[in-house]
Amino acid sequence: MLEIKNLHARIVEDGTEIIRGLNLTVKAGEVAAIMGPNGSGKSTLSYILAGREDYEVTEGDILYNGESILEMDPAERAAAGIFLAFQYPMEIPGVATMEFLKVAMNAQRKARDEEPLKIPELLKRVKEAAGSLNMDMAMLKRPLNVGFSGGEKKRAEILQMKLLEPKLCVLDETDSGLDIDALKIVADGVNALRSPDRAIVVITHYQRLLEYIVPDSVHVLYRGQVIKSGDKSLAVELEENGYAGIIEEAA
Amino acid sequence: MPAVQDTIDRVRKIDVDQYKYGFETEIEMDKAPKGLSEDTIRFISAKKNEPQWMLDWRLEAYRRWVTLQEPTWARVNYPKIDFQDIHYYAAPKSTPGPTSLAEVDPELLKVYEKLGIPLREQEILAGVQKPADSELDEANDNVYKSGRVAVDAVFDSVSVVTTFKKELAEAGVIFCSISEAIREHPDLVKKYLGSVVPTSDNYYATLNSAVFTDGSFVFVPKGVRCPMELSTYFRINEKNTGQFERTLIIAEEGAYVSYLEGCTAPQRDENQLHAAVVELIALDDAEIKYSTVQNWYPGDAQGKGGIYNFVTKRGDCRGDRSKISWTQVETGSAITWKYPSCILRGDDSRGEFYSIAVSNGHQQVDSGTKMIHLGKNTSSRIISKGIAAGFSQNTYRGQVSAHRKASNARNFTQCDSLLIGEDCGAHTVPYIEAKNSTAQFEHEATTSKISEDQLFYVMQRGIPEEEAIALIVNGFVKEVIQELPMEFAVEAQKLIGISLEGSVG
Amino acid sequence: MNLQITPQRTLAETAIIDAFGERLSALPGDGAVMVKRDNAIEAVKAGLPTKRVESWHYTDLRRLLTSVPPHDETANAKAVAPLIEGSTVLSVLNGVASEKPAAIDGVTVQPLAEKLADGSFAPALETYGSDDAIGALNIAFVGDGFFVDIAEGSELEAPLELQNVQAGGQTHVRLPVRVGNGAKATIVERQTGSGAALASSVSQLLLGDDAEILWIIVQDQPETATHFAQFKAELGKNSKLTLFIMNAGGKLVRQEVVVDAKGEGADFKLRGVNLLAGDSHTDVTMVLDHSVPHTTSTEVIRNVVTGRAKGVFQGRINVAQYAQKTDAKMACNTLLLSDDGEFSTKPELEIFADDVQCGHGATVTEIDHNHLFYLMARGIDEKTARGLLVKAFLAEVIEELEDEPTVEALEALLDGWFATHG
Repeated sequence: MLEIKNLHARIVEDGTEIIRGLNLTVKAGEVAAIMGPNGSGKSTLSYILAGREDYEVTEGDILYNGESILEMDPAERAAAGIFLAFQYPMEIPGVATMEFLKVAMNAQRKARDEEPLKIPELLKRVKEAAGSLNMDMAMLKRPLNVGFSGGEKKRAEILQMKLLEPKLCVLDETDSGLDIDALKIVADGVNALRSPDRAIVVITHYQRLLEYIVPDSVHVLYRGQVIKSGDKSLAVELEENGYAGIIEEAA
Repeated sequence: MPAVQDTIDRVRKIDVDQYKYGFETEIEMDKAPKGLSEDTIRFISAKKNEPQWMLDWRLEAYRRWVTLQEPTWARVNYPKIDFQDIHYYAAPKSTPGPTSLAEVDPELLKVYEKLGIPLREQEILAGVQKPADSELDEANDNVYKSGRVAVDAVFDSVSVVTTFKKELAEAGVIFCSISEAIREHPDLVKKYLGSVVPTSDNYYATLNSAVFTDGSFVFVPKGVRCPMELSTYFRINEKNTGQFERTLIIAEEGAYVSYLEGCTAPQRDENQLHAAVVELIALDDAEIKYSTVQNWYPGDAQGKGGIYNFVTKRGDCRGDRSKISWTQVETGSAITWKYPSCILRGDDSRGEFYSIAVSNGHQQVDSGTKMIHLGKNTSSRIISKGIAAGFSQNTYRGQVSAHRKASNARNFTQCDSLLIGEDCGAHTVPYIEAKNSTAQFEHEATTSKISEDQLFYVMQRGIPEEEAIALIVNGFVKEVIQELPMEFAVEAQKLIGISLEGSVG
Repeated sequence: MNLQITPQRTLAETAIIDAFGERLSALPGDGAVMVKRDNAIEAVKAGLPTKRVESWHYTDLRRLLTSVPPHDETANAKAVAPLIEGSTVLSVLNGVASEKPAAIDGVTVQPLAEKLADGSFAPALETYGSDDAIGALNIAFVGDGFFVDIAEGSELEAPLELQNVQAGGQTHVRLPVRVGNGAKATIVERQTGSGAALASSVSQLLLGDDAEILWIIVQDQPETATHFAQFKAELGKNSKLTLFIMNAGGKLVRQEVVVDAKGEGADFKLRGVNLLAGDSHTDVTMVLDHSVPHTTSTEVIRNVVTGRAKGVFQGRINVAQYAQKTDAKMACNTLLLSDDGEFSTKPELEIFADDVQCGHGATVTEIDHNHLFYLMARGIDEKTARGLLVKAFLAEVIEELEDEPTVEALEALLDGWFATHG
């Protein structure tokens, strides 16, 4: 489903190269974990997948279902089924969460030539999804992410993911700032989305999240490259021995 | 910042000619010759069958006006106006004065149909449908529910029709053109006209006092809650005419009225002058809510043409516990010079100003408010949202002052500006003056652009860029939109989108 | 019909113009300087600014400047002890630079009269904008001052105190300071005296790249003095300027701050404390230009108004087109403690660049009743409690300076003011 080939990318503003020849393949139905020390390029990778224009791809390609997405803008990628759960979700003052969900769902439907959702149907879907995440409907009347706690923001991200039904989900440090109860709820939400036609990329610094979202594959990112891949045991090994050993091994 | 760059490029290419109300209508007109003199004023007064006192009032204003100089303190630039090159009176020939709907020239009715202004009472009676998804819209929860609007339609210099007059009269409410009021209710007009904005007030107000041709008059007697929204729809159609309307609204003790005004004009290469005066008077416990959606022709992409909008609007909270609330959505005009103000004279009175000013192309906006605290325990609130795009300049200018005796005066001001593109400017000029130790003033202002992070976030959810910007802008102005009656709120949101077209979908 | 009338000259205007005729021959300057003086007096002849001049909206000089004393040769001004112990002091007494002090490492000092006489200072005698009445007045009459040059890379250990002490009559002084790249120093500007003088003083700071300056202005003129001051600065790349202003005296005071952040990465901080009492009128007016990208500024002004005092703060932040990534924040907070006092503030933003974060806040309040109640509930009597809260409101700004001797010295001034006016 996702194939990243010899990807090189740099920051547009100052030309710093962050991704330096990254290769990664994630199949439909697979949950892939990307781990790595701070500054290894994890968040940058998630932004590049979603099409953030602060980064420029200088070499290589990103194929999604066999086709390059490099020329697509963020909205087109989203409509094609790529979803990024942000590490720091943005606050959008004055725009009620419910209103935002409606606009986003219908924009994607429009891009796929589908009819907009009728209000009762929309409300039904939102109520269901919010219920499963223990979210209060009253919260959805508040402006998106404004004044939400860290846990509420992450839950709102997963809520959007559920409702938009993406094919490729990228979760950027979704575990940061969550207590254990919130973490479980979020993980349950993600696990419920596991399906044979959907791929999930979990970006995380710690192994903790992977106890709840068990990955099929684990990839270690360092200096903009995948330096080691393995199964879930690799995450456990990292937790016990840290990154130093693997980095040395790769060097 | 490539995404923003893209937006800027689109704004550059913007075609303000997308103005939707730019059509012109061929209607036979009765006009005064160009130019301004005492004869012009006598002509206007005679056309309107005015009593001698009104003519004298006008002439006095005119004599003062010729001694005055145009103010230059606002941040607007325009070539000198030739006041002798303007027609000061233009009226459709077929209408000798305000009349019943049946007598109105069908061409005129078509104009209003095209503008989306319902003049036929039975259509209005059918009520305005609530949008299907309003369940989602928190803003709509506390709107005026009646759904009926009485309209006074002002076409160039005269009022062509006023609807629902009979029903309003049953409630004791007078709603008619100011010309009719001068003839039919001279005592009320004499008592209140010029009592808030004196003829000597400022250059444009003095000019207006001399040459005003029509406008609306509203009188809501003691204890009456006006049974429906009142509105005036201003249309400039004729070439080389100025529009000088005068509106006077009086709410007696305990009365309530909500009044709306809307404005459009055809697309033309030359500039046209609009210099209005609006006076509001609220007696004890009365409340007046005044909403404006101003969409005069803004000029083309090169800044050619467009309306010069020099307006004096002032409300006098004359009675104790009275309240006046201004809400404005300003998207049109080449130049806007407008400061709807409140004089908080009565004890415990309250003034409010909610404003959205959108500028694009070469528009120049210098707008804001004055809250003059004179009485005890008076309070005021100012929420101003400015959005500048293209090559426009957008200035908020406001004054809040507490006089010696205004103990416990309170003001809160929030003044935010949003910039779209790097060729526009946003400016904030507040004057905050306290002469009473128990006054409490709080003022906050911010200027920023739509953040790259916000835009990326919204687009990541599949919302295309233009729609994403519109969504964020609508969030930015939400606090003000909420203050508008529902019918206007929906209209205003659309209008803001259209005004920013090129940068916003 | 044009009814514009040329108004009659006020007594003050006439006195200034007459004084120029009398003083001219005694003022230092070559031809170039004299041309500047002539042009400057022409500006005064055109009339002092009124409230119709936007930048003088709240300080109508034609109305407020009621009398102008003649120059007084015999006035005897004495140097004062420095604000911060151990400072190097340069005193201008009664408008004349005192003898040069012992040599300071890395600093060159020259009496300004010499640089006026030989004409080398003529190019720097410029007004800013068309409404610069203080600049014009000063250029016409400036007699002396110090020209200070801090060499590239030098870091002054002791603060440098520039004293301007008047004892009546008229004094017109200039204090130009040039700071080389990478240099660091603390400079104290003392504006003080004992007479009913008309004093004008213009400080000009040229800050080199990477230089860092803490500049403290303390003005405590007697309640009979008229004090017109201007602080002008240009900031080089990555330079840092913290300007602290305390106004605690004077009858009619206007302190202008004109700063141009013209080097990328420059940072400006303005902190001000205005203590207003009696019948005084005190106006602090700032114009700050962010002319290039990536410059930052914050301004915090705190005012306390007692008696029949009138206070003004005008702050205008201009962000030039293409000065992207500017970050500017301004706050002006006032405690109005007297029913006869007044405070007016006009915080302006003029923004021509889109990628900026700018904001300002202004409040005018009384003492927070909850705070007052809390203190009184702990057994503190109302007067003491009020005093504590007012002091805390001001001390917050002073303590931000962090340098202990400086903070102590300023807080001592604060205590002194409260002892007489509290």
